[in-house]
Amino acid sequence: MKNYNAGAFILAAGILAAGTQMASAAATCDKQNIRFVNSMREISQPYHGDLDKGGRLFLESVGLRDKQYVLQLNQGDSDKQVSLMRAVLASNPGCTVFNVEPNNLPAVQLMVQTANETGAWIVTHWSHPDGFFPYQGNDHWIAHIGVNSLDAGISVSDNLIKAMGGHGGIVALQGILDNKPAQLRFTGLQQELAKNTGVTLLDQQTANWDRSQAFPIVQSWLAKYGDKIKGIWAANDDMALGAVEALRAAGLAGKIPVVGVDGIPEAIQAVKKGEMVATSSSDAYYQGSIGFAMGYCVLTGQVPEPAKWTNEQRNFNLRLITINKDNVDQYLNPPPASAYAGDWACDKIWARDTGPAD
Amino acid sequence: MTEIDRERTDALTRPKLAFFGRDVGAAEIRRHLLAWAPAVALVVLCVGFAIGDPQFASTTNLRALASQAAVPLILATGMTFIILQGSIDLSVEGVMGASSLAFALLIHNSRTGLDLGIVALIGGTLLGACFGAANGILVTRLKIPSFMATLGMWSISGGIAMLISGGQPPQIRDMAMRMWALGDIIGVPHLTMVAVIFVAIGYVLQSYTRFGRYSYVVGGSEEIALLSGVAVNRHKILAFTFGGLAAGLAAALESSRLGLGHTEIGADQMFLTLTAVVIGGTSLSGGRGGVIQSAIGVLILTVLANGMIFVGVTPYLQKAVQGLIVLIAVVAATWHLRHRLRVVK
Repeated sequence: MKNYNAGAFILAAGILAAGTQMASAAATCDKQNIRFVNSMREISQPYHGDLDKGGRLFLESVGLRDKQYVLQLNQGDSDKQVSLMRAVLASNPGCTVFNVEPNNLPAVQLMVQTANETGAWIVTHWSHPDGFFPYQGNDHWIAHIGVNSLDAGISVSDNLIKAMGGHGGIVALQGILDNKPAQLRFTGLQQELAKNTGVTLLDQQTANWDRSQAFPIVQSWLAKYGDKIKGIWAANDDMALGAVEALRAAGLAGKIPVVGVDGIPEAIQAVKKGEMVATSSSDAYYQGSIGFAMGYCVLTGQVPEPAKWTNEQRNFNLRLITINKDNVDQYLNPPPASAYAGDWACDKIWARDTGPAD
Repeated sequence: MTEIDRERTDALTRPKLAFFGRDVGAAEIRRHLLAWAPAVALVVLCVGFAIGDPQFASTTNLRALASQAAVPLILATGMTFIILQGSIDLSVEGVMGASSLAFALLIHNSRTGLDLGIVALIGGTLLGACFGAANGILVTRLKIPSFMATLGMWSISGGIAMLISGGQPPQIRDMAMRMWALGDIIGVPHLTMVAVIFVAIGYVLQSYTRFGRYSYVVGGSEEIALLSGVAVNRHKILAFTFGGLAAGLAAALESSRLGLGHTEIGADQMFLTLTAVVIGGTSLSGGRGGVIQSAIGVLILTVLANGMIFVGVTPYLQKAVQGLIVLIAVVAATWHLRHRLRVVK
């Protein structure tokens, strides 16, 4: 028995060693052999729908078949996100690129470790654990593309305060309370409020990113504060749209400014109609596809391997787009693939870098 | 039903009290107190919040409360019959999602070219009823415990909802329907009126139909019901179908109010509905309670959620407060039974 165990251990160690040896060599893949995996929470929100569409648009633009595209949904379960990744890596790990919207911070660590072990490639979005970076020897973690949620919160709050004329009461709908982007966006509001003392925060509640929870909360606020409410702030577009419906029930849609974050098509239409004042977009089409573009460029040898990139190229914040009535017209229709040619081209994959991420 | 049948049913539905050393008068008084406790609690809450912030009792807020209670009232009425029979339905959220999508795709919307108006409402409701019937068949024909069967149906219906949503929730463009759902008449929201009518229908079903009365019998003791020749399976399927129908109707109405077909439209509703039913006095083990009791339970939870916003309870604590109230209500409702030898499911 003991001999068997020792033998098996040595065999496993040998395979692992050989595997890691192969993983760190510069892997170039045949473009028909690359697999693109989009890993996200769900598909029922328009934001995620657009992530998925962006990914498919990229594959189309480089002439690849939809068969090379895999969509993985984890329904908010981090263990599932990691195990789905491992499952698909049973074959062809070296030519698989993951574009990940991580469910939470520990998931990032586990997925990066999986990539390092198996030789797969990964690009993450939004947030990663503090002190954990691609350039610390995680050679298969191509890049992390963060979103400066604080900036998003600041810019929409600024638009809201301007629309209110700089004075009045605001009510705020928060996202899920222990979610980092939610907290950062709210901090953005608080910073803007500190600068504009004519505006006060009357109340804040959480609607957990959901418009059906936002609706009764705004209804209750309208009953409690009446016309003291001069503006409604929401940490995302879904809640903002719920607030708009509650205003509509009270006959106030379009009369009280509302802002959100995400830039979903429905919100953009609301901005056009004047029912919302502004939204901030990280551009879901971009986020759903840039990881693929980076992976494609690396694997087809058109850019050097990530270990040779600068720190900022591997960990940057993307450029946010604030959509308000001044520029809403350009965003009304879903973008064609050509709109992103300037971001997917291998010499331009860092085009939206606005500075290093934390 | 003959006089003897009615007496027998009444005997089965009367709460069982200890045989020895109890003064019948005191027991009767205690039973009446318990029956009225939820209503008293509701009044206490309302008065308390109104003292805390007089705006709570303003007509605008009463209208908001009525509007917020509409969907839970419909759901709780549907759930009551299932719980009365001693079963449970965990599939509410998934069924609501699927019905919401179905309704939104049939009415004038941003994705399909259909424009079926009120037929869409009927369609969404019927889809809910179909899921309910499926639950009933799984429980009665395949003998799967209702907990498991409806848990599975939650995933199935939720999955179907996601499939037909396809990442692009259909926006409802039928403005007549939307404005009706958002509007009110003489201050009472339209949706609340639909809910009240639905509760009334539930009450009639409970008190004046065989289905209603036999539901108590099945919940009180399924074996006795079977031995007495009651068509237990048929009534179970009916209860689940009614529950599914309620979920479908609630989803369609809420979708009209919000303006889109939403897979997560039922989020949190299962916990709230079950809580409302239990707080109102309908026992989870079946045989006791009713539609009006569940309605009071719904009102208690609605007033609580709304009142916490008025009084300014921090959002970080609201869920905890809600859970605490549920615990207190359940303990208070079953306090008189705690010392008896009884199986706690």
